[in-house]
Amino acid sequence: MQPSIVEMIYTQKQDIISDWLSEINNVMPSGLAKKIPNEASDETNKKFVELIIESLELTEEAATEKLNEFAQHLIYLGWPLSYFTQGMQAFRRVLLETMSSMESISSKKVFETFYEIETWVDSIINQIADEYSGSWESTIHLQRMALKELSAPLIPVFEKVSVMPLVGTIDTERAKLIMENVLDGIIEHRSQVVLIDITGVPVVDTMVAHHLIQTAEAIRLVGAECILVGIRPEIAQTIVNLGIDLSKFRTKSSLRRGVETGLELTQRKIIKIENDDERIDSR
Amino acid sequence: MSIQSNVEVHTEWGIVSARQAGRNLAKDAGFGNVDQARIATAISELARNIYLYAEKGEIVIQYVEDTESPVSKRGIKIIAKDKGPGISNIRDVMEDGFTTSGGLGAGLPGVKRLMDEFDIHSTAGEGTEITAIKWLR
Amino acid sequence: MRIPILKLHKYLLISVQVELDDQTALQFQEDLLNKIHQEGSIGVVIDLTSVEMIDSYIAKVLGDVVEMSNLMGAKVVLTGIQPAVAITLIDMGIMLNEVPTALDLEQGLEKLQQELEG
Repeated sequence: MQPSIVEMIYTQKQDIISDWLSEINNVMPSGLAKKIPNEASDETNKKFVELIIESLELTEEAATEKLNEFAQHLIYLGWPLSYFTQGMQAFRRVLLETMSSMESISSKKVFETFYEIETWVDSIINQIADEYSGSWESTIHLQRMALKELSAPLIPVFEKVSVMPLVGTIDTERAKLIMENVLDGIIEHRSQVVLIDITGVPVVDTMVAHHLIQTAEAIRLVGAECILVGIRPEIAQTIVNLGIDLSKFRTKSSLRRGVETGLELTQRKIIKIENDDERIDSR
Repeated sequence: MSIQSNVEVHTEWGIVSARQAGRNLAKDAGFGNVDQARIATAISELARNIYLYAEKGEIVIQYVEDTESPVSKRGIKIIAKDKGPGISNIRDVMEDGFTTSGGLGAGLPGVKRLMDEFDIHSTAGEGTEITAIKWLR
Repeated sequence: MRIPILKLHKYLLISVQVELDDQTALQFQEDLLNKIHQEGSIGVVIDLTSVEMIDSYIAKVLGDVVEMSNLMGAKVVLTGIQPAVAITLIDMGIMLNEVPTALDLEQGLEKLQQELEG
């Protein structure tokens, strides 16, 4: 950065800061403004703008470190990336306005100055965006691990009848895990009927259907029967529209229906007990 | 690790000993129950192909390590080689349901699905070499 | 090597306890069909709990046995297919579609009884 620009920023520091502060309040994402109390956001805004200006006189490494620290703190507090990007854009606007209102810069140098400021602001935006995407990546990784741990235990609900509730998107990796869990569970609980509940599966495409069919086939091979339950109207529509053939399998709209069928298949049913007033009274 | 098993296949018993050797090696390498079965089955299919079509050949089972990829992987590699008639129609034999022996026609495409990597080289009249790898998850 | 075939009333029970090589599997096919003919059996349970691996050839032999037995008037149920074996078969695209299955010998017998005796 040219010393003249730095100097200019420093002499105009107070104006720039106050201009920016009023600007940032306008561009602040409205959802965020509601969530964060005014004092807190005012303080963060001040810190942010001072940090930007301060970073001018620091070495590149020190500036990077300070910015990352600040960004990480805000990531932790849940501030969105758009706060930074819009904040930086506002800063650039304010700076350029301030400059153009001054006559000290010759028109020749205007272009050069603009360019320098652009580069500087962009590099800060990039750095903060990197920091954010790094944190997103690690979050995604953690969530993926958590999802894997979440993967579907087989729950014995009645003798010989078990339920496998599936929640979330099913990819190949998870499908394999689910299949192993179901089959091992069948052996462990001696289940004759397994209800696979897909109420919590957002999308059933050909791939997911393929995994479900394979799981149902494997269930049949180990000697149990599979009923697919929790088929919502939109899922039924996509299955038929995609031309997926599930006709070989028993399917039911709800888990309750599935349980009834499961009991039927194992020669049992749920009956209502006659209301025996005397017995209730005598307690 | 340089441990490997070589099994000659020229009788039906060769098929059995090859898959047993494969299962043992897979178990020692730390493969789970299901992958052990996958590896043993793949070996069985490959050994049977040798027995049926080339009459004799060899199954080599060895540990492999991939140090080049960013995350280093370990696994088991099966090499099935014979000096039989070779396969002139590789595209056909890799298709489900294609059979010349009256089997299910699930052999080679089945092996491909059971394993993670699959490679086949064959020259008519000279022989066939099939390589398949299963990585530890 | 021969796989023993036990007779229980009108049923035949087989528990495969050995590693199935091709010769044993074919011998078994022949033995079972002879036994069905001899005893006039109406149902067969083949328990595969101890079988660690079924490749496409063995699967073919088993499928054939079921079909042949059906032709001779005996219904066959396969029981005790291990999860690892089931997954391997599915991976290979072998569904054994026409073959009835049950969890174990006991449930296999029950299934036969239900289907044969109503």
